[in-house]
This record gives sequence, structure tokens and C-alpha cells, in this order.
Amino acid sequence: MNNMYDVIVIGAGNGGLVAASVTAKQGLSTLLVERHNLPGGCATSFRRGRFEFEPSLHELAGFGTKEKPQEVGKTFQSVGADVNMLQTPDAFRVLIGDGDYRLPTGREDFISKMEEYVPGCRQSVEGFFALADEIAQAIGYLSAGSIDIKEMQEKFPHFMNIANEPLQKIYEVLEMPKKAQDIMSTYWSYMAMPPSFFDFTMYSFMLERYIDYGASVPKDRSHELSCSLADTIRKNGGDVWFGTEVTKILVENGQAKGVVINGKEYHSQHIICNVNPHIVFSRMMDEAEIPAQELKRANARTLGVSAFTVYLGLNKTAEELGIEDYSTFINGTSDIEQGFLHMDSIDKNDYQITNCLNIANPGCSPEGTCIVWLTQLIRGDAWAEITPQEYKKKKNETAARLIAQYENATGIQISDAIEEISVSAPPTFARYLGTPNGSIYGYQGLPWDNLLSRTMTFEQERYIKGLRFCGGFTTRMDGYSSAYATGANAGRMTVKDIKEGK
Amino acid sequence: MSIPEKIKELNPQSFASIIPGRMHVIDQASTDSLPAVYPVNQLADALHPAVQHVKIASVREHGSDAKSFTLVPDEAKGTRELAWFSAGQYISVFLEIGHSRLCKPYSICSGPADAAKGSYTLTVKRSAGGFASEYILNNWEPGDSIDVSAPEGTFTYEPLRDGKTVIGIAGGSGITPFHSLASAIADGLEDCNLVLLYGSRTKDSILLKEEFDALEAKSPHIQVVHVLSDEKADGFEHGFITSQLIQKYAPAGNYSIFLCGPQAMYQFADSEIAKLNLEQKWIRHELFGQFKNPESCDDYPLEAAGKTFRLTVISRDECHTVDAPAGESLLTAMERAGLLAPSRCRSGECGVCHSYLAKGTVYVPSAIDGRRAADHTYGYIHPCCSFPASDLTLEVPLA
Repeated sequence: MNNMYDVIVIGAGNGGLVAASVTAKQGLSTLLVERHNLPGGCATSFRRGRFEFEPSLHELAGFGTKEKPQEVGKTFQSVGADVNMLQTPDAFRVLIGDGDYRLPTGREDFISKMEEYVPGCRQSVEGFFALADEIAQAIGYLSAGSIDIKEMQEKFPHFMNIANEPLQKIYEVLEMPKKAQDIMSTYWSYMAMPPSFFDFTMYSFMLERYIDYGASVPKDRSHELSCSLADTIRKNGGDVWFGTEVTKILVENGQAKGVVINGKEYHSQHIICNVNPHIVFSRMMDEAEIPAQELKRANARTLGVSAFTVYLGLNKTAEELGIEDYSTFINGTSDIEQGFLHMDSIDKNDYQITNCLNIANPGCSPEGTCIVWLTQLIRGDAWAEITPQEYKKKKNETAARLIAQYENATGIQISDAIEEISVSAPPTFARYLGTPNGSIYGYQGLPWDNLLSRTMTFEQERYIKGLRFCGGFTTRMDGYSSAYATGANAGRMTVKDIKEGK
Repeated sequence: MSIPEKIKELNPQSFASIIPGRMHVIDQASTDSLPAVYPVNQLADALHPAVQHVKIASVREHGSDAKSFTLVPDEAKGTRELAWFSAGQYISVFLEIGHSRLCKPYSICSGPADAAKGSYTLTVKRSAGGFASEYILNNWEPGDSIDVSAPEGTFTYEPLRDGKTVIGIAGGSGITPFHSLASAIADGLEDCNLVLLYGSRTKDSILLKEEFDALEAKSPHIQVVHVLSDEKADGFEHGFITSQLIQKYAPAGNYSIFLCGPQAMYQFADSEIAKLNLEQKWIRHELFGQFKNPESCDDYPLEAAGKTFRLTVISRDECHTVDAPAGESLLTAMERAGLLAPSRCRSGECGVCHSYLAKGTVYVPSAIDGRRAADHTYGYIHPCCSFPASDLTLEVPLA
């Protein structure tokens, strides 16, 4: 066995797994190294009693079906990863103030339902989707490479005017009624960015994908996704080392040279890094080799949010309990901007997303039972002052509050059916992911650091030759499909680099 | 066209401003080093340290067959405080016995309040053929240095799930997690009632009797019922822990039953509990511990019985070949050969030993099969509860 590889991938999160799958599939000798003993990072599963829980994935956008794969599905197919995906029914149910709205997938149905809930909003919602279409095409154009501003102005005239504008501003120009805005903004909590600074480009891109194509979940939790990718790497001759930590990335005169594992050097001119730059540039590289621009960029950024999640194995069926919806978004306050500010506080944070996995995946738990989980995004540092002694109590107290909020909002009683419970807080994510303050996302998509801004500067902001990043902290922002896309891109670009002798 | 014309008036420079805007923000930022530590990660490390270096502060004998060891931080090795835990959790002890290197879980007997003050107590009872317990009882002395894991395990009281009263059913050394729970209740750290049905052979063989007497006196929420199998005595129940006995001491309304003891006790107690027709959620078992005699299971592949297979262990770019007898777990086979594979619970539950089985077949008793659904599809196993049924190749990140 040797210590030379064409490509070394650090971190088997969604991005790293796909990147290594792509390079291995192209016949490059590939080593994927993961600190944890499982693949996937957030994309995993865990068992309690007779239940197997999904830790993080609510719905995967962009997978499509086997016959009609979309971006993510195509990537999986291209590397030979075969997974069982189940379509999620309906888009979402959202409870805001006194309002209770259930929205279907499929654009026409969605728009009609919006009009039914908020008479007179049709035109503004249609305008929203028309702009979203243009944006999707513009993103496609930008992703293809060279940018000709004049051509863009002709092809995407509106895009040039709204590319960097916040969602709220577009609502205003579209003259969308406030109630319709609130419903349309439901997915803000997936990213933890309020309409006042969530860029319309990213938001509409995301909403359109969910509404037009729906979403899906893997039959055997996200562990299936991650295992299938790891499997393709091995089948294509790659090495996958779990429970193994890369302690250092070797760089010489601005060129990546390899990594250090257990004190031993492994060499490669091509490193793909699925580790947050804050970690990489604080402790994985010789100080002299850290580019000043990397420090500046990292210092300018705001770390992404973490999460708080209550996983429940219930000893009644969804039907017995009266649960009909896969995703229920519950707003404690109808003011989303306020809700966003409350993500700094354990006790004030009152926005939750509750899922019943059995609605999308009926066989996911034993007969007579179901799985419900309640999620809040929260800034990791909201948990910074908690002591070890207070920790479990605080988790339980918060979990009880979320369960009560769900019960009060929906009238569905779940607390007396709890057979298994597990609660994850930011320290849990910090423990398993190793990310700063348990961030599950890379960096906040601040107006200067949003999807377009990152995408258009990605190549010019590479300061170490042979080192590429993938994951939520790169171009496509947060979430599974984004991480997969960046992994695929990093893999393909590395294949190209090697072919071109770079 | 449903796009209003007004969009065009919005910001003609919107797109063009993106890159200069970004460059401006980055240029203004500092080149200071990035933080090396984060408070939430520090909290995670305090709760789940990779290893805890401890010293044996004192040893107490309980008759000839059990001892309590009080462990304190070994500051010279860098451990300043012990990780907090929930009553009912265990720590795994790293041992080197002859050529073997292993990791063995023991429930923490002391309460969490003691951990905050800087000690854990483990009570170890001699068990027939107990490789680790025998070694510990014969060798551990005050002043010895030992490495232990972070607290682990889910045999804990969960207020959102469990009844307000826990009926503990304990046998043998299975008493230790209940001692921890009783201590936590007495210290006001757990808000529940404990009714402990504690099976021993005779009055004299009751482990930790004085300690439980003291806890019972200290807290109105603790009641200990001693059940003697081999002796009749006033103030003690006689016989086994039956459904009638449980009902005699059960409160009105819901209660949870927690069981901890040897495999034989589970078999008997479970058949008694079945008569109570309780929902599954009210019944919780502590882990089995090392599973023995797989060949006694109904679905065991008998052609493998008695054989010794070759186990190839691939650890990164190293390769080892060791003997793997059919009657022992793959984890034990590696440990015997001096290979320290990751593990914690030895019961198929915690997932720490999760490994990729590249070649070969194993037998996994269904009672302790904690694999995830996709593990079955993609060939992952838990070596701690997998028994070889052919020659094998296993990928394991050895320490």
C-alpha cells in the first residue's frame, strides 16, 4: 500500500462524499478521510429502541425520480449510487398567527391555493414565479462559465435589476399582500434568513424547486444516501477511512502537497476539503502558508446557524394521533423578522418545523408507531453559557416547550405517546460534526456573501493551488442538495485540473 | 406577462454591484488569526471528552467478591475534572491484560454530584469467566493510573418519556446504575420516585446494603425492597421478582420499569412483566453486556460452530490477520490479538465499533442487533456483537 494519491478528500460530509465519488469514478486514485466513524456528517441516522431516526434531512430538493432525475439525482446516477427515494406529499403546512395554511406542490395548484387563502394575490404570486424562472435560467448561464454582461442584459433583463435584492423588496414591488408574503416566506426558516436580507435569487431558486418538482426522502434515512456514496468510492477503487483525522494539510509555496494522518504524510497535489475554512485556517495548516486573503474572508463572514432537534418515537400511528402533514411550520410570532432575531436565544426562539416521517415514508417505524421530530434553527452560541450540569435539564426544558407549542398549535397530543426521545442541541452537532459552535451550515448568506456573490468569485478566491473546498461554506449555500452540488463541482474541477496537468 | 414593469426601476446596478461589494467587505476585514476554540465545542468536549485520565484514590472491599474503586482526575496527565453524566450511564475502562488490549463498560455507581466534586465510583463484582472483572479485582490498587471513556449510555431517567415512578429491578452487579439514580434523587438532581426491587441470594450477599439504607433514610422518594432467593428473613421479601411483587409495590397510575442484571434475570423478569400488559414504552433494559454462546440461538448457522476463522483487519494502510473463533465476537478476537479497535458498550447499541465488512459473513443475534437499516444493505457491522461464520475482511480504524 502506498501513500500517494491522485486526490485526497478531507471530510465525508455530503460534499466530500460526492467529490470523492466523482474522482474515483473517473479512475483517479482517491482517498477519503473522515474523523467520525460514519459517513455523511449530518446525513446519517441513529437508533433508539425500535426506532431509527433521521437526524437532519427534512426534504431533499433536486433529486427527481429514477426515470427523470434532476441535478442531485443525476449526480448520484453518474457515480453509480443507487438509493430508494420517496416523494414527500404536499409542500408544507404553515401556522402563522390565527392562520393555518396547507400548500400543495405543483405550481398551478400552489398558486390556486394561494389565491384561495389570500384572494387577490394571484398576480403577485405569478410574478414571483416568473421572476424565479428567469433567475433559474440566469444561474444556469452563470454556472456554465464565461459571463457576457451584454448578453445577460438581453436574456435576463429583470435578473440584472434584482440579482442582489432582498426578498422583501421584491414582495413590495410585486405588491404582494402581507398575508401572502408570510406564506410565501415559509422556507425562510430552512436557511435562517429573514425576508429583509434573504436574497430573492436564492430564495426563489429554492422555493421554485420545491414547488415545481416536490422533494423526496431516502427510505432508510440519510444514512442510506451516505452509505451508497461511500460504496461507490470503494467500488471504483477508492479508499475510505473512517475514524481517522487529518491533522494537517501540507502546503508548500502555495501548492497543496498532501495531508498528515497519525503523524504520517500522505501525498497528493489535489486536496478537496469538506471542512469549514474556520477550522482549516486555524489549526490545519502552517501559519506561514495561510493566505492573508483567506483570513480576511473568514473574518468577514458570519458562521452559519446550528440546530435544536427533538426526536420522538411515538407508540401510536400518525393516523391514531391525527397527524396528516409531513412538514408543519409553526410560527410563535407572525413577525418573521422578530422570529429571526429570536434565533439568538434559547428561550425566545419560537419558530419550529415539525415533521412526521411516516407521512412521507410509511414503513419507517414498526407497526403501530410513528416518528415525529421537531426542529429549530438556532445560533450555536446561544448555548455558549450553558454549563455541563445544566445542559440536559435545559435540553429537556426546551424540548418540552416545543412539544407543548406543537400540541397547542395543532391540537394533536403527542406527549403521552413518547416511547423514545432524543434531543440534539448545538453541542451535539459540535460533537459529531466538529464545526465551530455546532454550525450545521457554513456561513450566513449575508447580502455581500450570498449565492451569487460566492458563485461568481469562487475561482478567483482560490489562493492555494491544488486545494478546493466543497460543502455549505462554498458556493451554493446550505442544505443537502447544495452540498452535493458543490462536491460534484469540486470533483469535476479536480478531474479537469489533473487532465490539464494543473 | 405577470412581471410588473416597476422591477426595471429597482436597481439597475444590482447585478453589477455584487463583486465589488463583496471585495470591499473582504478588504476591510482583519487578517487576525481565527479562533482556535469555540465555547459550544468546549461544552461538547467537557461533556464528551475523548479520554479521561484517572487515578484510583481508594478501594473498598465488599466481602470477597466485589470491590468499589473511587476514581479521581489524574491531573499530571492533563485531566482536571471529570465529565458530568446522567445517573445510569457507564464509562468504558481501557485495559491491557497480558497481550490483550480491551475496553470494558461499567455503570457509574456513584451519583452525578460526586462527579462534580471530582470522583466516580465503580463497583466491580466477580463473575464466572469474567476476564476483565477478574483482572480488575486482582490488580487495581490505590494510586494506579487508568484511562476511561466519557460517560455513555441511555439507561437514564427521561422525564418527558418515563413515569414519575421508576420501578427498578436489579440483580447482582446490576445494582450499580440504581445506586447512581438513587444518589441523584437524594441530591435533588433527578425528579422521580424510585422503588427498587433488588434481588440477592441472602441477606449477607446484598451489595451496597448500607449505602441504600442511608439513601432511603435521606429521601422520601426512594424505597428499596430486598428480595432474597435463598433465605427467609423478617423485613425482606422472599423468592423471585414476580409480577405479583411488582404490582404489590407499584404506584397507582403509570410507572416505568427499569431492569439491570444478568441475562438469566432478564429472561425471568421479562416473562413476569409480560403478565402486566404494559405498553413497551414503560419497560427499559440496561444493555446485555458481552453476548455469550451465540450457538445457543435458534437461527445460529451451526456449520460455523466450533471453528476458528481467519480475520483480516485492514486499518488504513495497515493489515493484520488474526484468529477468530466462532464463539467469540470479532471485537474480542481483535482484542486478544492486541489490536485496540474502537468500542464502548459491547452490546451492539452505541455504534462506536461500526465497521465495514469487506468480505465474509457474520452471525448477529437479533436481540442485540443495533444496526441501522442501510448498514444491512451496505455491509456495515458492529464487531462487538458479530460472530464470524466464515473467513473475513474487516475495515477498522485501530487506535
